[in-house]
Amino acid sequence: MPDLGLEVLFKGSNFIRLLGGLFTAVKISLVSIAVSIPLGILLGILMTRKNIAVRFFTKLYLEFIRIMPQLVLLFLVFFGTTRSMGWNLPGEGASMIVFVLWGTAEMGDLVRGALVSIPKHQYESSQALGFRRGQIYFYIILPQTLRRLMPLSINLITRMIKTTSLILMIGVVEVLKVGQQMIEANRMTSPNAAFGVFFVIFILYFIICWPFSAAAGKLEKKWS
Amino acid sequence: MKNFKKWTGIGLALALALTGSLAGCGNKAAVVDKENPAKGTESKEIFRTLDEIKEDGTINIGVFSDKNPFGYVDENGDYKGYDVYFADRLAEDLGVKVNYVSTEAANRIEYLQTGKVDMILANFTVTDERREEVDFASPYMNVALGVVSRNDNVVKSLDELGADDKIIVISGTTAETWLTRNYPDILLQKFDSYATAKEAFENGTGIAWANDNTEVIAFSLQNDGYTVGIPSLGSNDTIAPAVTKGNTTLLEWINEDMEKLGKEQFFRKDYEETLAGTYGDEYKDTLVVEGVQQ
Amino acid sequence: MPEHTVMNTKTPLWSKACSSKKQERGAAVDFTYIENVLPLYRRAAVLTVRLGMEGIFLAVITGLFCALVLYEKIPILRQIVTVYIEVSRNTPLLVQLFFIYYGLPKTGLALTPEVCGVAGLAFLGGGYMAEAFRSGLEGVENIQRESAYSLGMSRAQTMRYIVLPQAVSTSIPAFVANVIFLLKETSVFSAISLMDLMFTAKDLIGLYYKTTESLALLVVFYLMILLPVSIAGAVLERKVRYAGFGT
Repeated sequence: MPDLGLEVLFKGSNFIRLLGGLFTAVKISLVSIAVSIPLGILLGILMTRKNIAVRFFTKLYLEFIRIMPQLVLLFLVFFGTTRSMGWNLPGEGASMIVFVLWGTAEMGDLVRGALVSIPKHQYESSQALGFRRGQIYFYIILPQTLRRLMPLSINLITRMIKTTSLILMIGVVEVLKVGQQMIEANRMTSPNAAFGVFFVIFILYFIICWPFSAAAGKLEKKWS
Repeated sequence: MKNFKKWTGIGLALALALTGSLAGCGNKAAVVDKENPAKGTESKEIFRTLDEIKEDGTINIGVFSDKNPFGYVDENGDYKGYDVYFADRLAEDLGVKVNYVSTEAANRIEYLQTGKVDMILANFTVTDERREEVDFASPYMNVALGVVSRNDNVVKSLDELGADDKIIVISGTTAETWLTRNYPDILLQKFDSYATAKEAFENGTGIAWANDNTEVIAFSLQNDGYTVGIPSLGSNDTIAPAVTKGNTTLLEWINEDMEKLGKEQFFRKDYEETLAGTYGDEYKDTLVVEGVQQ
Repeated sequence: MPEHTVMNTKTPLWSKACSSKKQERGAAVDFTYIENVLPLYRRAAVLTVRLGMEGIFLAVITGLFCALVLYEKIPILRQIVTVYIEVSRNTPLLVQLFFIYYGLPKTGLALTPEVCGVAGLAFLGGGYMAEAFRSGLEGVENIQRESAYSLGMSRAQTMRYIVLPQAVSTSIPAFVANVIFLLKETSVFSAISLMDLMFTAKDLIGLYYKTTESLALLVVFYLMILLPVSIAGAVLERKVRYAGFGT
């Protein structure tokens, strides 16, 4: 059997370290999504408002975040914020800000789409029944949009976990960086480690992401 | 393409407005207001003074995690190497714990200017351009540039390169700067980290790899099949710890401590512990700088 | 010291880029620097667009092939395609590229960074495009195929004249979204040493320490590439909305 450099993974605490690196990445995406969902719902509601200024700024925000590659956003926040605002952001903090900004934008757009799909008479009948605006959203509209939103937001989780691989580029020691360090530490003894290590990272990402997208696919089929 | 400039101008104006709130203020925050307190900006200093670091109990030091044997991570996940051995000692003398921040060559200045680390100990060569951006302490290592290539095609002179021959450099290193300046026609294949550059070089990319001569010599000694065809290139420089510009309290303390370390021949010991395994004793006197004031 | 005289022979770009160095720190934007590095960004933008287009082109072909395999339920191939789509959609491009560029040469398969970048983009994009086209194909009701057959059209004719035109128009929104997504993904090419926009900006920051200007230019150039695509996509979507049957 050709030497694929897999033995590196079983040296010392290497495999645990690799999983630790993966955990860093997954943690950032899960925290970000947890913050993004409520913020995204708010943004989505805001975007259905008729006020021109509100619409303009929410649209501008959404389009800018969507059009910029996430890597560019990471750089802007990681290096830009300290220079202009004096925040001393570590890489992980900067990644969370970017993922929340991005997640809120995506989530907001999903919520907006779901909200406008609810027929107008629902709002009107609730109003006629004496509900206040907050109550209408909370009790009548949002529960109905949940079905539509569930699969889409699970998909967003998958996308976020995948995107966390980029935080390597702003110096966060995550799974790819840990992998590189292992390859580097064993360059003499296992020259082929790059194959084994990167292949295993590839598989690890798939193992984490696939259940989410499979679940999203199932829900989509069931509820559509 | 005629309208290119015009559109770029318009786009640039727009983007500056957009990014203005993020990056637009430029270096302002990094500039210390000590000399000019009347300016009255509320932007607080970006760096932490010696007392603030002591109070916090942890110092953040930027090191390489993939530049064996100077700064790397061993298989237990611990930072090791010549730079790290020194950093451990500095933290010990300061009486604080150390938090290592993994850095790439191109980020070193940025990390200091944005206060992401208190100190850079990542094989940082002192140059005039860098001196304008950060403050260097006393030197602890000598360095020049070197070029390593494969045994079957050793590059002995940069003037002999073919038109399609590519030289690997790492973005943000002195080798990149020097080649860009002095050999603008040589094709450079740039990588953003030591790990990726070495991997690609091993995989057959590029005809040679230009870097600090200390590093390329180490690479040729550690790996079979490589020869340093050009052992010394460019000017002879030194490597020193760097702090954010204006962080005088920390800078002065480092210099004092290094003076003390020089007296006990600390860096020779550092060499024996971390580098002798790679270089033997051969380079001890040429590589180590000890007790020289900045 | 001969070395020092060598150090001072500067190339035009270098000396020009540094000429404004003496400028007050924290002063406004350095326009001389911007003008000097513009050609580098332009070259990087061309590379980004070229590799992006090549990757997207291959992704469309891969996606179309996979979608047809799934639609026609071709045995064995169908299972392979399903696995491929899941793998490509559930792994990050950066990891794919690391494996292709740094890992595969260990088995003797060494590719240039450009080929790796395009291959990676096609691998990732193929899965996304396949999903877009598949849902477009499935959106065409069965009754239309059956009617076409009863009118005496062959399988190929039905595909060509009845199914595909409708499928294409319904999958346009997803297609446009994928194109933008893939163009954005090219930003990770910097990890395999391709001098795209992202790497150019990073490299210039490392060389000249002008973070603000470099990042602003980065944003401008991405806007110049992606904004037109996004607008064109919106227009296209609006146009084809009238082309569908019965909706």
